[in-house]
Amino acid sequence: MKASLNWIRTYADLPQDITAEQLAHDLTMQTVEVEEITNPADLVEGVVIGRVVTVRQHPQADRLVVCDVDIGQGTTSQIVCGGSNLYENEIVVVAPPGVKVRWHGEGERVELSAAKVRGVVSYGMICAAGELDLEGLFPPSEDEEAEIVDLTELFPDAIPGQPVADVLGLDDLIIDINNKSLTNRPDLWGHYGLARELCAIYGGTLHPFPSIEIPEGTSDYSVEIVDEDRCFRYDAVVFEGIELRDAPFSMRKLIWSVGMRPINVIVDITNYVMLATGQPTHAFDESHVSNGIRVRTAHEGEQLELLDGRHLTLSPTDLLICDGADKAIGLAGIMGGAHDSILPETKDIVLEVANFEAISLRRTASRHHLRTEASIRFEKAINTQRCDLALGLTYQLMAELQPTARIVAAGTHRVRETEAIEIPVSLHFLNVRSGHTITADDAINALEPLGFDVTYDGDDTLNVSVPSWRATGDVDIKDDILEEVCRMIGYENFEYKPPVITLDKPIRQLAKESERAIREFLAFRAGLQEIYTYPWVSDAFINIAGDHTDTLIKLASPPSPDRSYLRGSLIANVLEASVLNSRYYETFGLFELTQVFSQGAVSPSIEEEKLPRQERHLAIALAGVLPFLLFRRLKGILAQLPRFGRFEGWEFKQSGDKMPWADRNAWLKIVNDEGDELGSLGLLSPKATEESGLRIPCLALAEINIEKLVPLQSRDNLYRRLPQFPLVEQDLSIVIDEDVSWAQIYEAVANLVHDAKFVEEYRGEQVPKGKKSLMFSFRLGSDTGTLTAEEIEKLRNRLIKKLRYTLGAEMR
Amino acid sequence: MRDQLSEIREKGLEAFATAETSEKLESLRQQYLGKKGVLTEILKGLGKLSHDERRQLGQLANEIKRLLLQAIEERKEELLDKASFLELQPDLTIPGIGIAGGGLHPITQMCYDLNDAFRSLNFEIFSEDEITSELYAFDYLNFPPDHPARDTMDTYWLKGTEDKRGAKRLCLRPHLTGASVRYLQQHGAPARFVYPGTVFRNESTDARHERAFYQYEALIVDRDFSFSSGLLLVRTILEKVFGHDVPVRMRAGFFPFVEPGFEIDMQCSVCDGEGCHVCQDVGWIEVMPGGAPHPNVLRAAGLDPDIWSGFYINIGLDRLVMMRYEIDDVRLFRSADLRFLEQFK
Ligand SMILES: [Zn+2]
Repeated sequence: MKASLNWIRTYADLPQDITAEQLAHDLTMQTVEVEEITNPADLVEGVVIGRVVTVRQHPQADRLVVCDVDIGQGTTSQIVCGGSNLYENEIVVVAPPGVKVRWHGEGERVELSAAKVRGVVSYGMICAAGELDLEGLFPPSEDEEAEIVDLTELFPDAIPGQPVADVLGLDDLIIDINNKSLTNRPDLWGHYGLARELCAIYGGTLHPFPSIEIPEGTSDYSVEIVDEDRCFRYDAVVFEGIELRDAPFSMRKLIWSVGMRPINVIVDITNYVMLATGQPTHAFDESHVSNGIRVRTAHEGEQLELLDGRHLTLSPTDLLICDGADKAIGLAGIMGGAHDSILPETKDIVLEVANFEAISLRRTASRHHLRTEASIRFEKAINTQRCDLALGLTYQLMAELQPTARIVAAGTHRVRETEAIEIPVSLHFLNVRSGHTITADDAINALEPLGFDVTYDGDDTLNVSVPSWRATGDVDIKDDILEEVCRMIGYENFEYKPPVITLDKPIRQLAKESERAIREFLAFRAGLQEIYTYPWVSDAFINIAGDHTDTLIKLASPPSPDRSYLRGSLIANVLEASVLNSRYYETFGLFELTQVFSQGAVSPSIEEEKLPRQERHLAIALAGVLPFLLFRRLKGILAQLPRFGRFEGWEFKQSGDKMPWADRNAWLKIVNDEGDELGSLGLLSPKATEESGLRIPCLALAEINIEKLVPLQSRDNLYRRLPQFPLVEQDLSIVIDEDVSWAQIYEAVANLVHDAKFVEEYRGEQVPKGKKSLMFSFRLGSDTGTLTAEEIEKLRNRLIKKLRYTLGAEMR
Repeated sequence: MRDQLSEIREKGLEAFATAETSEKLESLRQQYLGKKGVLTEILKGLGKLSHDERRQLGQLANEIKRLLLQAIEERKEELLDKASFLELQPDLTIPGIGIAGGGLHPITQMCYDLNDAFRSLNFEIFSEDEITSELYAFDYLNFPPDHPARDTMDTYWLKGTEDKRGAKRLCLRPHLTGASVRYLQQHGAPARFVYPGTVFRNESTDARHERAFYQYEALIVDRDFSFSSGLLLVRTILEKVFGHDVPVRMRAGFFPFVEPGFEIDMQCSVCDGEGCHVCQDVGWIEVMPGGAPHPNVLRAAGLDPDIWSGFYINIGLDRLVMMRYEIDDVRLFRSADLRFLEQFK
């Protein structure tokens, strides 16, 4: 929302020397966030008044003229111009060389220089409104094509050379306030409210609001509120004898400077009143309103064409303004109807000043995607008393600007008034909660300028009466009063104070520590990069991962149509991330640890709330060239994870169904002691690799349900006494059937050796078909002495014999 | 024989002192002092001599042997001092052999820095699920039904629940604050806890706006907790994260779940408050909203607002990390692009 400091000053005595920076800072610190402060005079910096002395045809161009213009420099300046409305003695707006203008009202502003235009030198430019961003203030007329700004009528006494900013009176500070930060302050949506706030901040004096009494003796006009829950007050006033013309320049300028469009005197008055008071008003053409006003909800399917040309199909949740014949003439508090608002031929008007219920109005506005200056204000909840301010100001403006118009009828229907709220607040409370010393005087000095009435009982209690403009939901409990007092004192002025806190239990969160240890192991030991992805997954990758969509959770309005499902596993997202990175890397490793979702009915807090199943999963992807090596690397990382992640260990086992995405020859399940499945790992199948568009030879993937891991109560390191006598390390290469596994070999030798390690596998020319060569190393030792060569030989032979008899192994 | 001995002494000392390598030195040692060395041979020959001569020459020979051994030791040390495993000076500008270089996501890093800071102040870490209900996301947090404030958080509702209300209307959480009510309902007060996590908003994205972003919220609930203490808490945390004192300021702000509400700004670390493009010439950067829990929120959590009060802070980690590293596009965080992520160790 934009506000003009000049306008605010008409209601308040404020220090004259407030700078834009200071204003932005003070308002931001104490009230609402100021986004920007601008000065409209900057739009016409360096631009001066010119008087056209002569106009002659350009010798080379039909559409151009050459003017001699007096810009107050003794001699005239020659300016080439394409304007169609140039004449001698016209008062125009001249941008001399050096000034920045927007050529034809388009693109960035560029600096003018004296330049030849089709062979004739032009010293600057006679400006059209768009070239100086003034088109809102000087709207181009419909029949003129290349119209320059003509000030002859408005400012006949303007002196050539005078700065245009001075003549138009553009020097002002326009405060642009963040709308979000105004959500709870309906009182600040008008200049008078802002004036009150600034008076409180700067210690200025607020003037009474300009207002005149409703003239006595006007005849009753019928106003009926049918739906009393939706409209709390409706005033209608009929003015006859309107002369529709432009509002005076000063009013148009104010309306324009805060970002609205001046239209005609009546519409401008209603907008001006809204911008001054925050209370929207509307004017209907009286000849279209028969027999008074009715405020009622719409019938199902009822139609209404709005001022902006939109056709609405309404329902009983929408509130309508109708005439006495029950014809809909406006959508209450949002926008007037197309056919019954102010029209060019309007002579008599019905002025509406009303108060509507905020929540239902907001629902209507949201449903029809209508956000208007009026609806934005009404939906913040306005006090009913503000109707009086708006009426008073309207009467005053009508008397001033439409002296021929007279009030012929007026009517009102009042359902209820916004009630004052009394809040007792204890000084003790203010002091303890703020941590700042606040006396009764401090509190009173903070509150009274804001319009609160405060009485102090001399002991500990302040009785605070909330003014009606703050009593529509903004201030209703003592904590709100605390906030008002604190912000007026200024949080900047608060000292730092250590809290008084009871130190209770030490904190021990094993699962949290375990999760962090997992991440740190994967990142710093395993060399993987952690990634974050979105919770919504692409349909294509859900398909490749083989997730079943019937158990997935769907978004009502997804970020894109093909990403409506939330992840039920992490495989799809991690795969998609791998595909992306395969454009830049041939080998890499990445992981993500986050929640996945599936259908369920879990109540984490209260019975009534049933949420889907939500579990934390870990997924790892390793990209590389050699498939089995990749698989083994992944298995190696996973084998170490329990130890470094500090949770109970797991085993690898091929059990249950293969994962849909996995290679049929390279997949395993990760299971715990009880055989429960915790996760899986595998090589991405050639088919899935092809479908995903992966640009590297292969990918190994793993996924683990972190929720199923059991963190260790403490580290589980085991100490084994050092061997008293040295161990002897030996290698052994055996040739064995393809289907004999390392696990079987290990099992066969385990109780004959101190320990045994797989070294490598080999298949090739020296190895017969259907067989493989396998090399492992083992260590031998004794508790009774150093092994002799003979003893070693004996042990080795025993081992070989066992492998031969149990597994059919041959030595190489 | 005496002459022989002095020749051995002279030549031996000379030879040892100039031996170029330790191998050469060893072969010289063998040559002089080995089993068949020249000195050993002489010593063997001593037996043929008279008692006196044997004694005198024996003494001399042993003295020479001692000198030679000493010379060998000295030379050995000299050679070791000069020794290198590398015959030629290698090119030391060639890069070292790296270890596998993974890393945590920069937001995880920041989150852990904050966890460490808060843990040192005895805060517990709490995690809430990412899917929640309107009841916890809005109703319990003092958002009146259909209040404009609900619009400031465009929410991803779950299909099939979008037209329901309260506990039955489910969504991806649009902010973290609902988690505070869950925690307090479960654990009561006093309480000190943080609850970091990702939140989701149905918005259009650009370099500064995202649909998913990471927040870090902390809440302290105690008897008579004051804003002055809250301000101190904020400063302590920022100091721990940034490693130095960071000036902060608290100003008025509105959020339905707090009363009063604040915006907390920190001094721009790029320009030290002088004003620059990062802080848009203000010198301050909005880092966190905060405030005292609204009495209605405390009531929803089952606490008596006349007894308990507290202080919330909510830190947008995406923004904080962007500021710390001058990252210009928030969407990079969830791009999974390793070229970006690898820069943060
Ligand atoms: Zn800065």
